[in-house]
Amino acid sequence: MSGTAAWLLVALGLLVVTVRRRSVAVGVVTTQALILFGSALSHATTGADVVAAVALAVRGVGLAVVVLWLVARTRESRAVRASVAPLARAGLAVALALLLTWLVPRIGLDSRTDERAVIALVAFGLVAVATRRPTLFQILGIVLVENGLALAALSLPRASSLAIELGVVFDLGLVVLAAAVFHDRIFAEFGSGDSASLRSLRD
Amino acid sequence: MTNAQALSAALIAVPALTACVVALAPGRVVRRAALAVAVPTGAVAVALAGVALHDLDHPTVGTWLVVDPAGGLLVAVIGVVGLVSVLVSPAYLDSSQGAVVREERRERTYFAVLYAFWTVLLAVPLAGNVGAAWLLIEATTAASALLVGFSGKGRALEAAWKYLVLTSLGLGVALLGIALLSAGVPRSGVGALSWQALATVSSGRDTALVAYLLLLVGLAAKIGWAPVHNWLPDAHCEAPAPVSALLSAALLPAVLLVAWRSQLALAPAVGLRTTQTVLVGFGLASLVVAVPFLWRPMAWKRLLAYSSLEHMGVLALGIGFATPLAIAGVVVHLGAHAVAKALGFYAATPLLAHDPRAAGHAVTGIGRTEPRLGAAVGLSLGTLAGLPPFPLFVSEVLVLAGGFQADRPWAAAIATVLLALGFLGLAHTLIETTVGKRRSGRAVAAAGLRGVTLLTAGSAVVLLALAAVGPWLSRTDLVDALIRGLP
Repeated sequence: MSGTAAWLLVALGLLVVTVRRRSVAVGVVTTQALILFGSALSHATTGADVVAAVALAVRGVGLAVVVLWLVARTRESRAVRASVAPLARAGLAVALALLLTWLVPRIGLDSRTDERAVIALVAFGLVAVATRRPTLFQILGIVLVENGLALAALSLPRASSLAIELGVVFDLGLVVLAAAVFHDRIFAEFGSGDSASLRSLRD
Repeated sequence: MTNAQALSAALIAVPALTACVVALAPGRVVRRAALAVAVPTGAVAVALAGVALHDLDHPTVGTWLVVDPAGGLLVAVIGVVGLVSVLVSPAYLDSSQGAVVREERRERTYFAVLYAFWTVLLAVPLAGNVGAAWLLIEATTAASALLVGFSGKGRALEAAWKYLVLTSLGLGVALLGIALLSAGVPRSGVGALSWQALATVSSGRDTALVAYLLLLVGLAAKIGWAPVHNWLPDAHCEAPAPVSALLSAALLPAVLLVAWRSQLALAPAVGLRTTQTVLVGFGLASLVVAVPFLWRPMAWKRLLAYSSLEHMGVLALGIGFATPLAIAGVVVHLGAHAVAKALGFYAATPLLAHDPRAAGHAVTGIGRTEPRLGAAVGLSLGTLAGLPPFPLFVSEVLVLAGGFQADRPWAAAIATVLLALGFLGLAHTLIETTVGKRRSGRAVAAAGLRGVTLLTAGSAVVLLALAAVGPWLSRTDLVDALIRGLP
């Protein structure tokens, strides 16, 4: 993947950590998936590569449809208050990404830029889940991590297994579908998709 | 096709087809179909375990399928626990209300998802490469999360959400570790992820170590090892009791097997002692976190959940010490923990019917109000506490002795103290739970008690048999094969 595309993915990832509107964040992770699709398709040399690229696109668009449907179905009566300010979230995300980049040695991907982008996307996903209160953003945090892993798969020096790649796409779809069911039920039960209301189970 | 391959195919196909049939069949046959197929599925699992344990020196090792002694043991545990979980499920469904789906779809959804979960779970120990193992573990997350939140109550939804998000993130981290390993193996395709290929990682020791740590931390989130265990008490507590049994007695050890296989596979690249130290670290951390909770009065299922954290810690110590004594301890611990923990969760259904307050409070004096239930709860808790002559006492002694044998005296000594403290906490709870002061209020007849009484008798026999064979296991070919790992 070109350096520009990799850094574009990282910049979009940081948006998921900071933006307020759920639909914007859905658009961002979908754009990431489509960039990954474009890159995968442009580097495809075999039929298996093309199938894997198409699977990435289907996953991206499919998830967007599901999550946007959820957004429309579970409109918040008032905005969920952020427990950590957007700038602080961005600072945390960048700090974690830098720390991990410093800690993790050369991974062996095609380029060091790709490696840094993968680590940054995983870090941003973790921070999104940890600091964002709306349950839907927590789903998007998981998708962000998976986008980072998709980038890692595209940047492997040798061909990876198509079956495993398709399996990852399928599994992520299953997990997001299960999460969608629970987001919907949580909204129905608590009147909001605010994860702060999920605090009755404490020891 | 060999016997092992044929049985493996049947083991996956039968419950998978049943999940589909149950999802589509007319409502009146759903329960009957689910119950009818459970027995053959359990039988195939035991038969496959028999094949795996019969020829210890020649395991089936392929790119996608592995049938070896370790996998055989796990398949037997998952098969039997799954069978009983299906059989006791009607008592749960009849004695509880509400679901995450509409009432008319409640039973169908429950059995279809339970079978899907069981299918994937049975496949985990048979996965021939780390990529397939990851896929299967991730698939268990989706299926089991639906079961954890099945009641649809607020607390269950919270538990399911935590479980889904934390384990998915953890598995994302594990997948990053797998990608790192894949980049370092000088092969392409799925062959790069086979257990044997991992030993050939050539990207340097530091990279291999980072990959191993990422993989293990990710798997730890699913195994419930501290400090990434936060979902475990909530999920075990809020899931339907038969599902809690599967989660604790089958899912956690199945993922632990994947961690064990990864450790053995990466030992040449990372260093044997280093890979084992990481496991010992997780084991000790889990004991440190679990033991204080074993001293607190707690709702029955929640207590069992913290006990799972403790016992997964013991298993981590055992495979980390990796001496014949420790591995013999692991074998006994695996079986005895499954029997005792599953019995404890199965007893929860009649217990909650008998005393609904037990859902949120510590149980006291159950042996005085319902002796048969007291026997089930007492047998489960006595075993989990490590009370002699029960097998977890034997296995813990073996694991600790294995720690000294492995030249890790400090780790073994700390574990000894922690296990002694855990024992005292659970022994106190055992007394309070079974013969403590009776709670005032009217006790209701316990639904499903007859089945649990039968299970108690059967469990007692199995547990005593395990305790009897435990001390002799360390000198057997089985333990040698487990230490060697895959050829």
